[in-house]
Parts: sequence; C-alpha cells; structure tokens
Amino acid sequence: MTKIIRWVCEKCNKKWIHPVDKCISCDDEVKKEIGTKLKVVGFTKVYVPSPLHPITPYNVLILEDEHGNKMPKKTMNDYDIGDVYEDKSDSSENVVSAVKLKYDYYEAVKESLELIGDIEVNDANKILIKPNLGIPGYAYTGVCTNPKVISGLIQYLLDKGAKKENITIAEQSFFVPLEKVAKKSGIADIIKKFGVNYIDISKTEFEEKKERDVTFEVSKIVNDFDIIFNVPVIKTDMVLGMDGAFENLIRFLSKKNFDEFAADPRKAVGALALLPNVVSKFITIGDGSIGMQGNGPAQHGECGFFNLIFAARNPVAHDKVVQEVLCLRKLPYVELAGKLGVGEYDISKIHIVGNELEALRRDIKHPVGSKLIKQ
Amino acid sequence: MDKYVKGVGMTKFGVEDRSIPDMAYEALTQALKDSDIGVDKLDAVVISTVDTKINDERQRHSSSFLSSLIRRKIPIIRVPAVCGGGGAAFWTGLRLKYNNVLVLAVDKILSGPTTSITKEIMNAADNIWEQEEGLVFPAQNALVAQQHMLKYGTTHDDLLSIAFKNHLHGSMNPKARFYGKKVSMEDIKKAPIVATPFNLYDCSISVNGAAAVIVSNDKTDVKVAGSGLATDYLAPFEREDMTTWRGVVGAGKLAFEQASVEPKDIDVAELHDAFTIVELIAYEDLGFCKKGEGKELIRNGYTNLDGKMPVNTSGGLKARGHPISPTGVAQVVEIVDQLRGRCGERQVDGAKLGLTQNVGGAGGTNTVHILRKT
Repeated sequence: MTKIIRWVCEKCNKKWIHPVDKCISCDDEVKKEIGTKLKVVGFTKVYVPSPLHPITPYNVLILEDEHGNKMPKKTMNDYDIGDVYEDKSDSSENVVSAVKLKYDYYEAVKESLELIGDIEVNDANKILIKPNLGIPGYAYTGVCTNPKVISGLIQYLLDKGAKKENITIAEQSFFVPLEKVAKKSGIADIIKKFGVNYIDISKTEFEEKKERDVTFEVSKIVNDFDIIFNVPVIKTDMVLGMDGAFENLIRFLSKKNFDEFAADPRKAVGALALLPNVVSKFITIGDGSIGMQGNGPAQHGECGFFNLIFAARNPVAHDKVVQEVLCLRKLPYVELAGKLGVGEYDISKIHIVGNELEALRRDIKHPVGSKLIKQ
Repeated sequence: MDKYVKGVGMTKFGVEDRSIPDMAYEALTQALKDSDIGVDKLDAVVISTVDTKINDERQRHSSSFLSSLIRRKIPIIRVPAVCGGGGAAFWTGLRLKYNNVLVLAVDKILSGPTTSITKEIMNAADNIWEQEEGLVFPAQNALVAQQHMLKYGTTHDDLLSIAFKNHLHGSMNPKARFYGKKVSMEDIKKAPIVATPFNLYDCSISVNGAAAVIVSNDKTDVKVAGSGLATDYLAPFEREDMTTWRGVVGAGKLAFEQASVEPKDIDVAELHDAFTIVELIAYEDLGFCKKGEGKELIRNGYTNLDGKMPVNTSGGLKARGHPISPTGVAQVVEIVDQLRGRCGERQVDGAKLGLTQNVGGAGGTNTVHILRKT
C-alpha cells in the first residue's frame, strides 16, 4: 500500500526522507516511521510533458499521513482536498503491482507483494529465490538482480515466519562460473549475511519435460520447493527485446537446451512462450530498481534507473506490463504465451495496482539489432 | 571588511544560440569596462554555472575554461547552486579577501526542446520523492500557490498581476527577453494552463545569458551593505509550512541586520519571481508585509514602478528571463544600475537602497543582498 516513510530520531524527533542509521545531532538510533492513512491536502494538474512524464495531463497530489508527514504522488485520477488516498490489493491471477522505490528496498518489496494479495509463509515452507546472475556485473550497473532487492525479499520472508535454512538462492550462468557472478554482483554477500542456501543450477540434475512440441531439460530443483520467487532484473535485450520474467526462467534449463534454442530464434520464441508451464507455480518480482536501457543486457547497455519494483503471479501479465511501462516494442514470445493460454496478454484485462500504467509510462532507450523484435 | 561594487555587465538575455565562452566574454569585459580596470587587476574569480546535459558544450571544468578565456592564472572557483547560483557566487565573492573579485555567471539552458529543459531544471528537485512523482518545477510551485490561496485567500488574479507588472517593467529593459513587447492582462489570462492554477504567465522564461559583477575592497559609489545566505530542506513538502520559505526569511534577516535597515527602507528590489507565487511569498518572508498580506502589495500597487517599492524593474525572471545561474548576478546588475541612475525609462527616482533575493530550487538555497548608494 502507498506509504510515507520517514527515518526519525526518537530522542530529538529529527526526520529524514532517506535512510540514516544514527541521528547526526544526538547519535541516537533512527527508527522508521511509516504512515499508511493518507489524505489529500493539495493537488495540481500538470499539462507540461517531460521525458520522465510524457503523458499529460496528470495530477500530482500532496498526501499527508497520520504522523503529519507529506509526500507528492503522481496519479492520472482526479482527487479533491480532504479525499482519502488508498490502494486496494488484488490477489487474482491477472494482477501486477508496480511500486515506486523510495530508497527502502524492503518496504518496496513488501508493498509489491501486499498489493498482489500477499503470500502465506510458514516455518516449514521451502522457498526458492531465482535472481538473474547470468552475466557478471557490479550491482550499480543493473546487469544482475540488485542484491538489495534480494536482501529485502529475504528479510520479508524471515519476518513472515520463514526459516533461513529453508531459503535457497539458485541460479546458473551459461558463460562464466556462477561464483564469479555472485561475487561481483554482491549476491554472494547477501547469501553470507543471511546464511541462506545456495545452489548452482548447472550442477543439478535435469529432467525432460514436454510442452506441446517443445522438449525442455529442466532442473529438478523446481520440484523441490513450496514457493518459488522468480526475481529478474528488468533489462533491455538486443536479442529478446527485454529481460523479465520469461528470460529469467531460461536458466532453469540445461546449457545444452539453452544452446539449442539460442541457435534458432524462431524456435526460441516458441520455447520461451511455453517455458513457464514447465516450472512449478511461481511469483515474479521484477527488479526495476536500477535496470538497464539501450543495448542491454550486458556491457553495452546503460543504467535505467527506473526506481520500480513489480510483482505478479503470472509471468505474461508481468512482462506485458513492464513492456508497456517502459514503452518497449512488443515481445513476440510473451504475445505467443498469451495466445497459448499461459497468461493474460491483453493489457486492458490486466489489473495494475500501486500505480496507474499511464502514470508510469516512460520512453527509455530501446535496444536495436534484435532478430526477434521488429524494429 | 567593507565590500563595494566596482562595475557590472551582462548580455541580453534571450534565445540566441551563443556559446558559453562568447556570452561569458561579453559580460565580463563589460564589467571590466564599467569598473575602469584591466583584466590584469583581477585577483580572483567566482564563477557560477550549472552542468547541463542538454547543451553540447561538454565543458564542466569551469575554472580552467575561464582561465583560458581571460588569459590569467589567478584563483578561480565555481559555486553552483542551481537557480540560486548567481546569488551564492556573489555571496562567496564578498567573503574573499582579494581586492578585485570578478563574480561571473553564465548558462546556456536553451539547447533542446522544452521537455528536455523541463527535465534539466527538474534536477534541482529531490530525485526519488519529487522527480519520480512528476513534480516538475511549475507543479511544485503551483502546489505552494494552492496552499497560499487556501490559507490566505490569495487569488490567481493577484498572481497574474505580478506577471503583468513584471512584463511591463521588462518591456522597458533592453537586456530583457521581452524588451519592447508589452502584454495585456487579457493576453495573460487566456494563456494555456501549465499546472493548475498556473498558466504560462505564472512561469519565468528560460533564456541563455551571462552576467558579471566586480566586487572590490576599494570604495566606490555602491556599497554592499548586507549579505545573507541561508538554506532549507530540498523538498518543500518536508517543511512545516509550504507557504513560508524559512531560508528566505533567514537570509533576509541576516542581510537586514548587517545593513542596519528595515524592509520599509528599501527603495527598489529584485526578487526571485521564478513563479509568480515566489515573488508574492518573498514580499512576506522578507518582511515587506505581514504573512498572508502579500496580495495587498500587488493590489495597491506598492511594488509597481511608480509604487513605494518597485519590484523587478528589470522584468524579473518572468520577463527579463531566467538563464539559471546568471539570474542572481543579473539582479545585482539591475540594482547597481538603479542606484547609479542609469535605468532609463524604468529608473526609480532617488533610489538609494536596493535589495536582491535569489533562490535555488524551491526555497533551498537563498541569498539576500542589500546595496547602498554611498
């Protein structure tokens, strides 16, 4: 739910709009103050477009919470002074939450999950987290899933009652040793900090699974967990158009299987579209905190600085919403997945919660040269 | 140590596609000529300029660039403070012990479409809480205006009257973007909406330009009697009251105390009318009237050219134009010209005491200076 966060010194009541650990005046601990009862105390309708906000008119509200803290909030809907502002969660299949990151990754991940109806977790649940560690890159580059997002998710799961012994981070890289990517991205530090488990998928057993006319070689670990979190970093991709929920699933496959699809773009489209069906039910958390634009997904891309966290129960809805928000070209494998019944592709039938699509849209630098995506 | 203004200079503020070195050179050579000194007499330079991504000059090493331009190897420092950069540079120059200090501000903000300029200027706001939520500067100030209207009964017509006044003044200033162009209240009222309640005429006009002032320990006919700088939190929504800009109050208090004068003593003022509401709030925050009564000053003509204390005789940011950093220095140029009686048809008769108020962001970096005719 939309919330106003302040970091407050309990001793002298100084407040910050960004996280600090200790009060600069009295050296006391600083605590988070979160306001959730929001009312509108000011508004303006903006008619001038800018690159971050190309669609006009839009409204900017000033919201005030129960602590007297305020924040601006962009919305396409009209409000009046005194109106209550609240988001409503929706746990149905075709829902995607889009949350703006306000410095605090934990709160953003929590909000994104709450908006899609939250998740039930108990101390016996075995939980798999699948980040994107496909290519080595420091956290600031947006090449890999941001370790702060993974950290926020693990902390949230622990707060919900999960046991660290039951949480596993699993990934593989088809190009370099996984340890190298985990170390460079900062994910290795998160694994160490929380003491969670770590699996290199390339070292697991794979089994054949057939979906229509496509044969997949899928890691058996997808069968071993009660809850799977697919946590891609949102990136532009010169080949696939965009890396999101679908692309991140590829690394549940064997290297042989991957090479087979990579060699034939048309085959890849068909395989990608069906890939979610061979992985157990999962929730996607799209890491758009930094992300990438331009000629991603590796060193030729540029940081995106999207400041967004997405969450969805369905990967088709997830990737469709992200593609629309970032004004990227249609992704053929996601469109095909929609046609094959993997999920809802029609944007008008996807319920976006947390922020409105039109309020989020921004035109980023597109990837060029893809054989899959028409230019 | 007493500080004086030796000479001033500025380019015409406008839409001309001129390079930064070209504009800087014109402004500083004018100031040298006005000071009747050669470049060899300069002891130090304070330069203010913003780093824009949109112009293609690709030069942010301001000190060295200026050294090349003036062919001197003296101390040169850069003081950027977005729209308040010029005032902050002037404030800094006054605190240097050198005899002759050139304070120069130059910006080429018009280097792309309006959307790009809007984004560029937006960088003065908080990135996460404001920019991501669509709070472009007109919107940010429109919200301030709305709060002032709700709290004090100020009307949009009051704000548009400020625009009308400043356009009238600017039409008489050869250095202004709108020189020779008068606009009617009808024109102003029918302008397109930018961010409710603001229309186009509530917003200042972006221009390119440069302005320069030479401050000195040598006594001249213009003394800097008071100089104050105060800051405030980046985001207005963080403050207790969006309609009072504490940084302006603080900077004004310092300047008035230093000059040993009161607001009623000021003959002419250049206030930071980035948006009409900003000028109106400045009336109140600087003590020219009580809080909430700013509208009365515009209604009764107190700040008109023929009023008790004319405000923005240059046309202000609204009609002279707002090239970002040069604004604060151009305000000093106007006040010096007023005190020296060389403002032509917009001259304020008998002006002896003038004030400048420059703001960076939405009340973030604030300077107030009081200049006295000696």
